[in-house]
Order: sequence, then C-alpha cells, then structure tokens
Amino acid sequence: MKRRMTGRVGGEAVLADGQALSGVMLRQLFLGQCLVLALHLSWMPAWLAAIAALVAGYRYLQLRRRLGRAGVLLRLAGVGALTGGLWLHYGTLGQMEAIIGLLLGVYLLKLLETHSRRDGRVVVAIGLVATSVAFLHDQGIPMAAGGLVVLAWLVHSLVWLSGGDSRRAWRESAWLLMLSAPLMLMLFAVFPRLGPLWNLPQADRASTGLTDEIAPGDIAQLSRSDARAFRARFDGLEPAPAERYWRVYTLSDFDGERWRRTTPEHLAATLGRPLDAFVAEGRRSTWLDEAPRFEVELLLEPDSRPWRPSLGAPLTTDEPQRFLADGTLEGTSPLASRSLLRMGSTGLAPANPDPAGSAWHALLPAEGNPRTRELAERLWRESGGEPRAFLAAIMARFGEAPFRYTLSPPRLTSADRVDEFLFESRAGYCTHYASAMTVLSRGAGLPARVVAGFLGGERHPDGHFTLRDYDAHAWVEVWLDGAWQRIDPTAAIAPERIEQGALAVADGREAFLADAPFSPLRLREVGWVNRLRLDWERMEYRWQRGVIGYQREARNALMTRVTARLYALWDWLVGLAPGRGWLGGVLGLLMAASGTAGFAALLRLAWRHHREARDEALRIHRLQHWLARRGLGPRPGESPSAHLRRVADEVAEAGPSLRDCAHHLERLRYASLGREERRERTRQLSRRVAEVRRRLRRLPRRQGGSARRQGGSAGADGVAS
Amino acid sequence: MKGTTLGERWWRRLAIAPGIPLPQRRLFLLPTRFGLGWALLLLLLLLFGINYQNTLAYVLAFWLFGLGAVALLRTWHNLLGVTPTLRLPREVFAGGEARLGVVLAGGRPRTALELHAGDASARIDLPEGQGEAILALPAPVRGEQRLPLLRLETRWPLGLVRTLAWLESDERMLVYPRPLDDDEPQHRHAGEGLEATDFTGLRRAQPGDSPARLAWKQWSRTGVLAAKAFSLPPRQQLWLDYDACRGDSERRLSLLCARVLAHHRAGDRYGLRLPGVTLPQGEGPHQRRQALAALARFSPSGERGGGR
Repeated sequence: MKRRMTGRVGGEAVLADGQALSGVMLRQLFLGQCLVLALHLSWMPAWLAAIAALVAGYRYLQLRRRLGRAGVLLRLAGVGALTGGLWLHYGTLGQMEAIIGLLLGVYLLKLLETHSRRDGRVVVAIGLVATSVAFLHDQGIPMAAGGLVVLAWLVHSLVWLSGGDSRRAWRESAWLLMLSAPLMLMLFAVFPRLGPLWNLPQADRASTGLTDEIAPGDIAQLSRSDARAFRARFDGLEPAPAERYWRVYTLSDFDGERWRRTTPEHLAATLGRPLDAFVAEGRRSTWLDEAPRFEVELLLEPDSRPWRPSLGAPLTTDEPQRFLADGTLEGTSPLASRSLLRMGSTGLAPANPDPAGSAWHALLPAEGNPRTRELAERLWRESGGEPRAFLAAIMARFGEAPFRYTLSPPRLTSADRVDEFLFESRAGYCTHYASAMTVLSRGAGLPARVVAGFLGGERHPDGHFTLRDYDAHAWVEVWLDGAWQRIDPTAAIAPERIEQGALAVADGREAFLADAPFSPLRLREVGWVNRLRLDWERMEYRWQRGVIGYQREARNALMTRVTARLYALWDWLVGLAPGRGWLGGVLGLLMAASGTAGFAALLRLAWRHHREARDEALRIHRLQHWLARRGLGPRPGESPSAHLRRVADEVAEAGPSLRDCAHHLERLRYASLGREERRERTRQLSRRVAEVRRRLRRLPRRQGGSARRQGGSAGADGVAS
Repeated sequence: MKGTTLGERWWRRLAIAPGIPLPQRRLFLLPTRFGLGWALLLLLLLLFGINYQNTLAYVLAFWLFGLGAVALLRTWHNLLGVTPTLRLPREVFAGGEARLGVVLAGGRPRTALELHAGDASARIDLPEGQGEAILALPAPVRGEQRLPLLRLETRWPLGLVRTLAWLESDERMLVYPRPLDDDEPQHRHAGEGLEATDFTGLRRAQPGDSPARLAWKQWSRTGVLAAKAFSLPPRQQLWLDYDACRGDSERRLSLLCARVLAHHRAGDRYGLRLPGVTLPQGEGPHQRRQALAALARFSPSGERGGGR
C-alpha cells in the first residue's frame, strides 16, 4: 500500500509511514494522561505519577531509537507492579479506591503499547472513562472546571489523530464543544433520572465531624478543623441564634470515662425487644405527631456514616430515612457524594419518651466519681427534690468562678474524670460541662442524656447556613414533665458561644483552627478577603444545589413547568383558530408552521437575490453550476465567459442570451464603468441569465457521466483524446 | 484493476462523475469501529452516572453524545461540495504504475480526505481549499482501460463516522505495452549515440540552451550572448514491422514498443507497420505518441483496436 502525504508534514499526528504515531502526538496523549491524573491525585496514591513518568520516559528513549518496543514481559511486569503496589497500599483490591487505581494504572501503562491511530483513540477513550470516575471523588466547581479542561484536551487529541495539524485541531475542537454544548444541556434537562440500577462498590469516605462516642476532650479536636459538615437553607421561618441546635446523636451509655451512643440494633439486643420499637423507616416520624416548625433543605457532605443532622426532632423528610426513637435521624446508607435532603422538624428536644425507659437513662456505673455523686445528692437535697431547682443549682454552680470555658483545657488523667473536672481543673468546654451535668442529673435519679451535634453555623448573606466542624457542640437533655428538655450548661459559662458561635470564644484561641493553618476563615477580619470567601462559598453552594442536586425532583419540576408552558401555548393556538377545537388547533399549528417556513424561504430567496445583485461573478458562478448539472459544465481552466461562449455554440436556442451574458460579465468585470451604466448592465445581465434558464429548462438533468464527455480533463488530453 | 465484484457493481450505481461538486444525496455516512466503541462508551458512562447518581458523569455522557452527533454533521460537511477532477497519467507502460492525479477543490479548508481505489490509497489536506492527491494504480496489462471505481472518504474530525462518495469516470486510460529490449544485436539501438556534433555557426542564445553550448568567448567580445549551433548527422529512416518480430503477439508488441522508445531517443524517423494498421514515417513526440497508442490499441485478431 502506498500513501502520499500531500499535506503539511510538521505537526502531523502520524509519522511519514502513515501508521506510527509521531512524537508530538505521543506527547499530546501523555499530557492528556497527566491532566486526568491531576483530577484524581488528591484522592489517590501519589506514586501513580511516578508510573506516568516512567512510562513516558521509556517512550521518550524509545523514540530516540535507543530501546525497542515494550515487549510482553515488560508490559506484564508493569501491570504486576501496579497490582502489587495497590495491594500494598490498600491491603485489598476489592475496595473502590483500589479499583480506581487499577483503572488509572492501566490507563497510564497503555502508553507503552500505543503505536497506531487506533491505539491513540483507545487511550483517549480510557481517559474519558477515568475522567468520569474522577467525579466520584468530588463534584465541586474546581473538579467540573478540571473536567472541562480534560474533555477539551482529549477531544483535541481525537481530532488531531484524525488528521490535520494541531492548530486546526484546536479550532475544530472548539467548534465541536460549542456546538454540542446546547445538545448536552437539553439532554441533561430532559433525560429521565433513574434510581441506581444495581449496587456497585462505593468509595470509602473518611469520616469527618462527629463521632458517636465522646470523652471530654474530643470535640475540642473538631474545633481545630474548618472542614464543612453540611449546609442548610430554611424555607420560611429561620431559627434565632440561640435555637440553632442541630441534633445528630444522643449518647446515653456512660462507662465512667466516655459517653457512647447505643444504636437501635444494640439497644434491641441488650433490652431483648424487637428492633422496630427503636427505629422506623419512612418519610414521616412515627414517634411524634405535630406540625413541623422549621422547613429546611440540607446539603450534606459525603461521609462514611449515615448521620443526618436535624434542627430539634425530625418530623418529615422527602426521602425515606430511619427515624430513631431518641429523636434523631439516620440515612439508609452512607453518602458517597453530596446530596440534598429536605426535612421538617420541631426545633426542640423530642417530646416522646424513649422506649429504652427512664431507668436506662438514669444508669451510672456502679463505682467511680464518688465526689460527684455526693455533690448530686447534696444539691438534690438542697433543692428539696424539685428537679428544676436542682438543675438551676447546677447551672448556677457552673456560672460561678473558678469554672471557666476554654478550648485548651488541662488534660484529665485520673479514672474519675468527672470528679477531676468538677473539683480540680474546673476548666473545659461543652463536652466537659455536658458530661458533668448529665452525671450529676443521673446521680440524683433524673433521666438525662448527652446530645452531640452542632450549634450555630455561619449565616451567609443569601440566607444559607454553613456548619463546620468547629461548630460541633454537646449539650444535655433531661426528662422533665413528660418531655425531654434541652439544657445547655455552656450557656451558663460562655453565653457568647451560644449567641455568636465558636469564633467568639476568646479563651484557648490557640487551639482554634490549629489544624487549618491556611484556612481563609483566619482572615475573616480582613474585609475583602472575607467578602471573596463568602462570594466563593455562595457560588459553590448554588452550584452544588443547582447542578449537582438536579436529581429526580428538580428535573420533574422543570419538566412540569415546560409541559405546562407547551399546554398554554397549545390552548392559545386553539383559541386562535376559527374552529375552536382540536382540529382547529392542528390547523392553526399547521398554518403557523407553514407560515414560518414560507417566511424563512422568502427571506432566503431575498438574501440570495440581494447577494447576486451585488455580485455578478456569483450570479455567473451559479449559472455555470446550473449548466453543469445539465451536462454543460466548464472545462478545467476555462474562464466563465469562454465557457458561456462555448456553450452558446453548442445549444442554439440560448446562444444569443449566453453570448450577451458573457459580454456583460466581461464589461462589468474589466471595463471602467460609470455607476449608471454599471447598474444598467447588471440589470441586463440578470435578465439574460433568467432567459438562459428559461430556454434551457427542458434540457434533462444529467448525473455526471455525460457531463464528463463534454468536459474532459486538460491534463489528460495528451493521452486520451 | 480488479474484477468487478457484486459489491463494486452496486457501488457503481451510486457513483457520481468527477467534475461536479459532490451532492448531498450521493454522500453516505457509515459508523466506524471506533464510532461503535464510542456508543458503548456512552452507554457505560451513562450507567455509571445512573448507578452512582453522579451528575457530572451524566453531563459527560450527554456531552459525548452531543459530540458524536455534531461530529456526524461535521464529517459530512467536510466532504460535501468537494469537486474532484481527474488528471490522467501522461504515460503508463504495462507492468508499471499509473499515477492518477485527483485534483480536489473544496472552496473552504478541508482536512484529512482519503482516496481509495483498490489497494491504492492517498490522504490529503486542503488547507487552502485546493490540492492534488496522486494515486499509484497498478497497470498490469496494455490497452484502453476503464478507471477503477474511486472512493473518496473522510473520518475527520473525530473518526466516529466516515462519509464516503464513489467516483466513476467514463474516461479511459491508455496503457502502453511493456517495453522489452530485443536481444538480437543487429536491431539494438539503431540510431542511438548519435549527437549533433558538426559546428555550423552561431545563433542567438535562447533560454534553456545548455551552458556548454553558449559561445562565452563571443560574449566577452561583443556582449551579445550567442549559442553554438551544430548540425545533426544524417539519421536513419526505417520501418518497425510487426511481422519482422518473433514471438507471440504481446511479445512482438513489447519489442516494438521498446524500439519505438529507442528510435525516438535517437531522433530517428520511423514508421510502424502492424497487421491492418500502418503509421507513416515521422519523428518527434507526436510520432512517438501515435506509435505507442497504436501498439496499445492493437488487437491481434487483425481488427483495429479502436481510436483513430
């Protein structure tokens, strides 16, 4: 097979043999791989970059003719090293991250055996899959922008592989992307959203935020981080700052040191009762029956645990969830990616009794913390067995010196931690106070539990709240007068924490955001930085809510709106037509369509005439084409007027008109004419052209073959004629 | 030129003649293997988006679909309106290759157009809207021959689909016999080696004169550039006769062909006698062309092979 490369050789995707990919094309593919890898690298092991570099280095040396093609052994060794590395890194190959790593590694190694156009296309196709997989990690604005860059690069690679040079390929890729974008948007809007068809391995998420087990000291760890926990937007009523208690877990199991959450399964097993006594799945709470006070839309961050925050006790949700009897909520599965959840809630502690019973909530270890128990009994006696007075006494005690609120309290080391806190260190934050207060209440026989969740959050100018790890908080719920009552001991010692949030706490600031040295939140005092940060967060929130949250409901709502518009249009048409009915509508529609089509055709004709009237060459050019379709085409190299004169000799009936055409054309093109004469001649020319068409209309249209008889190729004359 | 298969006959019905812009209804769109792979890729990404409820994966899948649809149009648009014209090879001898020129005029820039005819293929870009591709066709036998069915196609820009058009020309290509040098010495190179050697005088120099023949001395003396003129020695006048050759008819034609070429090189006057055809004695390129054409068209049964 012989090929001749007639085009420009520089910048070609293939070498001169027409088969092997050129060095620049390989570099293009490699850079594409680097871009795809960059999308992944924050979540994947960094040594994948080393694989990319090694493979590229090998290909570079090979192109320099120092090495042969990568043999089977080398390629197998590459795959083996990759698998081994991933196995060492993750300990298994079944995990989602390991599978992604395998895909990326194979994608990078594929460059070793990329030699032809076909191989190049395969590399690009794997790159597209890998890009899609990168969206599992994150779907934020930076990732979307990165995805766009990668897509543009890969499309450019494909175009370049098909031919032409790099610059032309860039222009074409821009066209392709621009022209296909509207199609993409339309499909995105109308394509029906389905639920997952089958279960696939999910990426494991590092747990952020709260854990379901706290010892005094834990939540201070959270205050060191500015990671976002979730975002919320209220429909209608917004809670006052002192009401923004987001409940996540209740902790009722105390071992003397730590508070633990007991899951419904654990409770059912421990107390020997059926599971559905502690949890019910659905869209409504079965434990409480009241009208929701707050309607909120949550944008949850991905997490490996299925926790869902709720302002007070949850009442309704838009998706089925697990409603727990302690007035908290759990998802049916962990969140692999950000998602939206709408919820109605009370804003208060739940009013329903916990099925675990009051005895369960008054349980303390048989021993330990003796001074605390003693204090509880003394306070109980002093308040005359009146629970409210008892609780007020505890709060009053916390409000007095030397108790202080600090984010970096001294470490508690003894076995009797509550004793140590209450009688020795007397410095701590929410966990210390909540834990101590619950122990005191239980010591007096009052059912009480610790609630872990979030308090406050940053309100953005557009009305949405961002809750971060440092907003994590712990408080107490006590069973009083047939309902759980929220009591926050922190309010007694550091009211500014309740009213103004975690940032307002002055004591122990050095611990605050200690793990986020570059957090923009540190610069919140600098006006313009804070504005920029807020703008970015607003944009990010809108992006996440609007584009990422465009799932079933949003799509259905949009489609309902569109169909409603169409129906309205239809009704309007039906109203317009005389028949006033279905048939009338069809008629009206047909009339409108034909009217539009006719108008468009008229416009087109007018445009043609306008252009022809200004440009006699175009008019003659079209006449020549018209003649060519009837087998009277021009010969190569024949000037238009020579062509017309020759045809004039061949077809007698249009001879004079054709000669006139040629004459007018020559005058118009080459003579210096006054404006008047030019106009006159143009008019004459158009009349003659019309004449020619009228006279020759009956000539049969011929396809090609016979036209060639008339034409004949100049270059071929020497041999064929 | 291969024998016509059923498929080729079918495609010939859909072919158009060169010389006119490729019309819409004779352009065909076919998916390539990569195009089918692309469809699978779309499906994969869509399933990925559905199963992970991943919006950006949805977006990517839809965008790739859009790209495919637009590429369909762009591929078609890349070929639409290209005007192919054929430039027949100047001389083809049997057993050699016929270099068929295909001039493509696109009006606007076109990229990566491919031409195929049998096993021969060529690839061409038209960055300025014009270009010529050369197809090297095999020419195994002498005679007047139809041009093969040409396939003009493009996969640009994405390689997902190919647009193709079939071209068929009525023109014939004349393939001269394969020149075969005679091994009999008395006939070989009868007039070869003779050069114009006798100096006859000076004439005015013309562009193209060999520098060796320019009269440099005269130039330095008079400032007028002149060339030395030489006269040719007397040339042979001869007849090339079919009946005087030995062997079967093709061999005889080959021998005659080689002799025509040799005598032409030597500048001899020669005539050609074939059964039923006689070409009077003459010289120059015209005589050579006529002689070769007569040899190419000759059919051994005695009738004239066609033409003049």
